[in-house]
Amino acid sequence: MRIFKKIPLRIQSIFRKDRVEQDLTDEIRFHVDKLIEQNVARGMPPAQARYAALQELGGLEQLKEECRDMRRVKVIENLVQDVRYGLRVFRKNPGFAAVAILTLALGIGATTAIFSVVDAVVLKPLPFPTADRLVRVRSLILKTGTGGIASYPDFLDWRAQNHVFDGIAAFRTGDFTLVGASDAVHLQGAVVSAQLLSLLDVKPVLGRSFAPEEDSPAAAGGTDPVILSQELWQREFSSDPSVIGRKIELNGLPFTVVGVMPGGFQYPIQAEPIELWTTIAVDARGADSMTTQRGAHYLDVLGLLKPGVAIPRAQAEMVGIASALNKAHPENRPRTVRIVPELESLSGPLRAPLFVLLGAVGCVLLIVCANVANLLLARASSRQKEMAVRAALGSSRLRTVCQLLTESLTLGLLGGAVGLALALALLQLLVRIIPAEVPRLNLIGLDVRLLGFAFLISLVAGILFGLVPAFQLSKVSLTGALSEGCRGGVSSGRGHNRVRSALVVSEVALAVVLLVGAGLLVKSFLRLTRVDPGFDPHNVLTFQLDSPAGQPDTQLPAFYHQVVARMAALPGAISASAVASLPLTGNNIQSSIEIEGQPTPIGSRPIADFNAVELNYFHTIGIPLAAGRDFTEQDDAKSPPVVIVNQALARRFFPNENPIGKHVRPGIGNGYGPGESPMREIVGVVGDVKQGDLGGESSPEVYAPLAQSPFSPMIILVRTRIDPRGIVEPARGAVASLDRHQPLYHVLTLDQYFAESVSEPRLSTLLLSGFAGLAVLLACLGVYGVISYIVIQRRHEIGVRMALGAEASEVLRWMLVRGLALASVGIAIGLAFALGLAHLLSSALYGVRPTDPVIFVTAPMALLSVALLASYIPARRAARVDPMVALRYE
Amino acid sequence: MSKPTDLVQGTLDLLILKTVALEPAHGWAIAQRIRQVSKDVLQVNQGSLYPALHRLEQSGWIKAKWGESDNNRRAKYYALTPAGRRYLDQEQANWQRLSAAIGLVLEIAD
Repeated sequence: MRIFKKIPLRIQSIFRKDRVEQDLTDEIRFHVDKLIEQNVARGMPPAQARYAALQELGGLEQLKEECRDMRRVKVIENLVQDVRYGLRVFRKNPGFAAVAILTLALGIGATTAIFSVVDAVVLKPLPFPTADRLVRVRSLILKTGTGGIASYPDFLDWRAQNHVFDGIAAFRTGDFTLVGASDAVHLQGAVVSAQLLSLLDVKPVLGRSFAPEEDSPAAAGGTDPVILSQELWQREFSSDPSVIGRKIELNGLPFTVVGVMPGGFQYPIQAEPIELWTTIAVDARGADSMTTQRGAHYLDVLGLLKPGVAIPRAQAEMVGIASALNKAHPENRPRTVRIVPELESLSGPLRAPLFVLLGAVGCVLLIVCANVANLLLARASSRQKEMAVRAALGSSRLRTVCQLLTESLTLGLLGGAVGLALALALLQLLVRIIPAEVPRLNLIGLDVRLLGFAFLISLVAGILFGLVPAFQLSKVSLTGALSEGCRGGVSSGRGHNRVRSALVVSEVALAVVLLVGAGLLVKSFLRLTRVDPGFDPHNVLTFQLDSPAGQPDTQLPAFYHQVVARMAALPGAISASAVASLPLTGNNIQSSIEIEGQPTPIGSRPIADFNAVELNYFHTIGIPLAAGRDFTEQDDAKSPPVVIVNQALARRFFPNENPIGKHVRPGIGNGYGPGESPMREIVGVVGDVKQGDLGGESSPEVYAPLAQSPFSPMIILVRTRIDPRGIVEPARGAVASLDRHQPLYHVLTLDQYFAESVSEPRLSTLLLSGFAGLAVLLACLGVYGVISYIVIQRRHEIGVRMALGAEASEVLRWMLVRGLALASVGIAIGLAFALGLAHLLSSALYGVRPTDPVIFVTAPMALLSVALLASYIPARRAARVDPMVALRYE
Repeated sequence: MSKPTDLVQGTLDLLILKTVALEPAHGWAIAQRIRQVSKDVLQVNQGSLYPALHRLEQSGWIKAKWGESDNNRRAKYYALTPAGRRYLDQEQANWQRLSAAIGLVLEIAD
């Protein structure tokens, strides 16, 4: 092929401009010299010989330019020509172009929008120089594989014994109250190992990083260091550089500002921004501090792998260290270690649903492509004459295919441009329904990656839907098409129809897959929202509140008791209480528990949730009391320790007995000092609540009265008879009147928590249903198109049949059967795929099996009936064909 | 001697191809040879020779190589490619048919 030989020349002329230029100059110079030689030989003086030579050539530069012209690359010219031709064709068929571009825009727009979310949440690399070596080191309970957080003594042993990390750092987030120039503000902060910032390889823009020895509490009289985020520094310290070295008060304790991080720096990366960092020293105060307890698992651990160390090797070594620790400390629950890339741990549970959605929207795009391909094919028949003329005039088949592909690529890019606008609009909507706790949502937006993706899929789509029609069309037989041209161009053979039918069948198949998926999710979502959470979430305001700075633990219950009393007295309030951890948030505090009469070493005791509650909690939140009594004012620090348990705990540990009057020993012994916590008497049994997911099980739970189990921060609840948001300001005022240094934070209604807990399934369900709807609509358009086409194509045949006595109803049935056949084949194929793919959804389903027979029957039936409707419209047209007109049509 | 005839549009390509078909030659030599062979009747316009050579190279009919000229100077030699050979045969046949046809017409006119 000639084109391949030309390529090196063209490439030369594009990329090696200097070389080509020099060659040209040399070549012309050689000619000029020869001319001069000749003129001199004829007897001219040299100067005149030279002048005559140049004159004969007629200007060296013009000559060179003409030579360059000859080398100019033709591909670009052809392309421009084809694009302009394509645009002209679209202008002549505005209806066709509009339908094609809009369909494409829908597909490309939806795909781009979903990609943008996947990209921001899952794909975009972390903004640290060491990003690809960062991993989470998770400490799991060996028996159950659950957990994920580590204790500080374990962490120290890991750090000392491993050979696979350049360093590991522990961290946790924490709530801080800064008493600044203005009112007290609540800040989200992180308590980290001093080494953390160096693992991330990010340095403060002002001041210094933490020094290794700052992991331990400062000596008496010294203060612990704190590093501020640039945003906090600007907002609260007016960007004053002299802030370095200044003492500030956080949670009533003195800290020294040692640095300011660069703007935008975040670690840990989460939805609520971290505004300050301090060292683990804050947890190391006191004799029985958190950092000394091997059983206190409360830290996340970040590791920086040594260069060249792969995760499996690191994992193997860390598991070894963990099992050695299990042997050395048999009193603790045996644990193991799992290492996960940091990026993966960040996107965590959202990865799977997002990829399912991306797959689903990809299916929609495929259907769109099939639809546009069908549109092009339908138009192709009327363009056969044009193609034949082109071929007759000497256009090669390759050239024709190129031209047709250029047309479809132009169409694809136009669709992509509109689709991009659509995607941006869709993203506005998406950001609002994506669960708020999803990290990195702020990265969603128009950027190079998004543009690149939209451009790429526009091209891919253009090729996908353009290829089949291009080859079909370029295969035109000259004489046939030219002579048949008079029949109005609708003349293509059966092969043509087979391609169109195949396209429609695949559309229907893809639509079935999406419809089944959406059906499963909708059914599961309906089940989920009907789950009883175990309490009444309506009309309850909640907010978090720290205890006053520097107050001893023994004072905490009194403070919260006062706050709750003021809340209950607010106009519009019915009752108020306080709790350490709210249901549905997954923030449950786990503790070992010992059952009376079953003495067990700590390491093998069962686990239950531990919660501390203020009086009236069960009444306020609406948890029913099943047996025994509620806590009373008499259950205080001086009286015998008591607990109320939930029914799950009663069922599990006291299966055939009355738990009232029995004793349990929760591992958490707030208020009773170090050492083994006391046995507590069970005085009541309450209903179960969902501590985590609405779809999850209720775990055994122990409630202790706040007075016997001081806890901070607490979540205050106020049940109202009015809209709970209406009492936020009065509540703020009431708290300020008690302690103006305690800001209210995480102010949310229980309904909001409830909505948030189902926001992820709601997102998947909403989007997948939307995609399925779109898919069904497009597939039906496809069926409609093919049947209408057949009707037009067979008009003559129908006319003959009717002239020979066929009834209109027979013709109608004949056409409907065609449509049904197409849809049924597609549905059968689609069902097979759906059966294979449904298990991908199983983790997202609640109370519905991935092979739910109801869905697998109703979804195809629904599709079949819409397909029937789609073929009925053109079929009716066929039945109305006037035999005389159809026959005369020839 | 009459004034050298201007080349008929499109025939320059044919003449160049025919000339380099015998042996590879540089631009100067091609111009000289056409003049000599046509006994000074056909004079190649120096200004259109090089664009024509570049166009033919671009089309793949001829390919260029740098070589030494008779007096040891670097010169660009053009040679016919197989594709060029086919094209030449085709064009030569066309030309002969055309000139024969023109001849016929002119005879009738006499």
